[in-house]
Amino acid sequence: MDLPAEEEQPLYSQRPEWADVVPLEQYESVAPLAPIFYTDEYRDATNYFRGIVKSGEMSPRVLELTENIIRQNPGHYSAWQYRYKTLMALKSPLDDELQLMDELAIKHLKTYQVWHHRRLLVQQTRNPGPELEFIANSLQVDTKNYHTWSYRQWILAYFNDDALWSHELDFVESMLESDVRNNSAWHHRFFVVFQSGVRNGDEDRDAVVRRELAFVKERIAIAPNNASAWNYLRGMLDHAKIPYCELQAFVLPYSLPQPPLGTPPEVVDLESPLPSKNSQLPCVAAVEFMADIHEAAGGDDLVTATELWKSLANEHDTIRKRYWEYRITESLKTKSAGDG
Amino acid sequence: MSTSLLVPQHVAYIRALSGDSKHELSYDLSAHLRMNAVYWSLTALLIMGHGDALDRDEMIDFVMSCWDEEADILSLQQPSGSFAGDAFGETDTRFLYCAVNALSLLGKLDKLDVEKTVAYIRRCSNFDGGFGAVAGAESHASRVFVCIASLAILDRLDEVNQPTLFWWLSERQLPNGGLNGRPEKLEDVCYSFWVLSALSILNKLTWIDSSKLEAFILSAQNTESGGISDRPGNMPDVFHTIFGLAGLSLLGYPTLVDLDPVYCMPTSIIENMGLRKGWKALQRRTS
Repeated sequence: MDLPAEEEQPLYSQRPEWADVVPLEQYESVAPLAPIFYTDEYRDATNYFRGIVKSGEMSPRVLELTENIIRQNPGHYSAWQYRYKTLMALKSPLDDELQLMDELAIKHLKTYQVWHHRRLLVQQTRNPGPELEFIANSLQVDTKNYHTWSYRQWILAYFNDDALWSHELDFVESMLESDVRNNSAWHHRFFVVFQSGVRNGDEDRDAVVRRELAFVKERIAIAPNNASAWNYLRGMLDHAKIPYCELQAFVLPYSLPQPPLGTPPEVVDLESPLPSKNSQLPCVAAVEFMADIHEAAGGDDLVTATELWKSLANEHDTIRKRYWEYRITESLKTKSAGDG
Repeated sequence: MSTSLLVPQHVAYIRALSGDSKHELSYDLSAHLRMNAVYWSLTALLIMGHGDALDRDEMIDFVMSCWDEEADILSLQQPSGSFAGDAFGETDTRFLYCAVNALSLLGKLDKLDVEKTVAYIRRCSNFDGGFGAVAGAESHASRVFVCIASLAILDRLDEVNQPTLFWWLSERQLPNGGLNGRPEKLEDVCYSFWVLSALSILNKLTWIDSSKLEAFILSAQNTESGGISDRPGNMPDVFHTIFGLAGLSLLGYPTLVDLDPVYCMPTSIIENMGLRKGWKALQRRTS
């Protein structure tokens, strides 16, 4: 195992070139509650950090010190903040800093500060292109990392450059090819297509919706029991104000226990791709969807909706039994209101 | 694997974290987490009815030693309506909740630009009914909690697309009884609070299969050291301990103290301050 560089270095208290700094202990006057047994290296480095903060020093050695602290504790937001201020004061080359951050981000992907620091740097460098590549690489390591995806959305929205947006759909498609159940990727697709304005080439919104419908149907056909894909479908229909009943022909086969008989396998209906072989049917999300279609139709359809909800409550989705019973009760209220 | 709540072990676990024994901590690495750890530890003990297990004066002294005379919560609100957490500037709806929560406890909510704050929360709501950390970010149960709790404090729950959010929250429960934070992810004990509190605030807590969730939380207890972990078999930590206990309290687990889901503090404290909102937990069982 490689030892981090700082373990081979003497403590700051032992380095003659730091002798001019007055280190400050964490506890000046208060007996520590929940005393944390820091390593000597961490206590030493943070003592010297408090010392240079007090004197207001912003110098290259401060960059070395803050890097040391961040490597030991990437959550130390004061060290990050002071590092950024020092980089600005020294007019340090930010591309070098980004390269250093590339290494740290991979090690500390779940730390907020790592990503926020990048944001601050890129706002200065105004060079977002390489960031998209960096983000794609980090997502190979942790495909659903919340900060990483959020950072990608920030880059795209902040710089709002058509050239940056233009590869996003391909990117999402490749992520979904690796894992069709990646909710972050589906969310990102919705963000890119429907929530970030209209870009050149996408002005025909009906065409966009048709394209997206084909996309999501295909993915549902491949792996029907995928909440993220069904959420995407619903979100899109709601956004485009398309009634769910228009999807009935597509959804129905997924809501039945058996795959439909008598369909030649080589005939692919692009409008209504069928569940792939070995799919577990009925698909709970499809049953829910059919229930919603019948509920919206009202009248006698409410009986069908209730049967579907009962099948969910008692058989297919029993963990949510009480939720499905709520849906039944609510629809009965609507029915009696309608009848009365 | 335990089927009942190991209160004495959890009390001992938390006391050990405070330095009662010379136990080395692997979880808390910095002073920035220390304040969190004090809050989590104290609240966990209060839920179990052992609020006196840590030295009261020491805790007060510690918190007051972190007092910054110059810091001003309201100055952290951004033009967008979001809140930064500190001068470093990262914004997140969790900081918005901290600000709204703190201002309400201090009786200073009237100083907040409520419309601006609510408008930002609105921008964080997504197509699936959930809320994210910033406008445009993926729905995540932790951010659903902070947004819903903030709206509850501000008396603006009318902002919420209720049917879709109700459905999104109820979808977090997995067949094994545990809750996840977003679709197609694993269960984790801490969502026992984030999801449950939101459902409680929205008066829909009865939808959860509570016996299965309770069994899941109890199975994540560490019978040797005490404490609760994110899922069975992993190392415990004080974060999952408090949120597992909070979930059990909201589910009506016997002997636990009532918890206010908006503030994640004992109900009695919030009621005494006149801050209680219209949430509903499950009835406390006697056995």
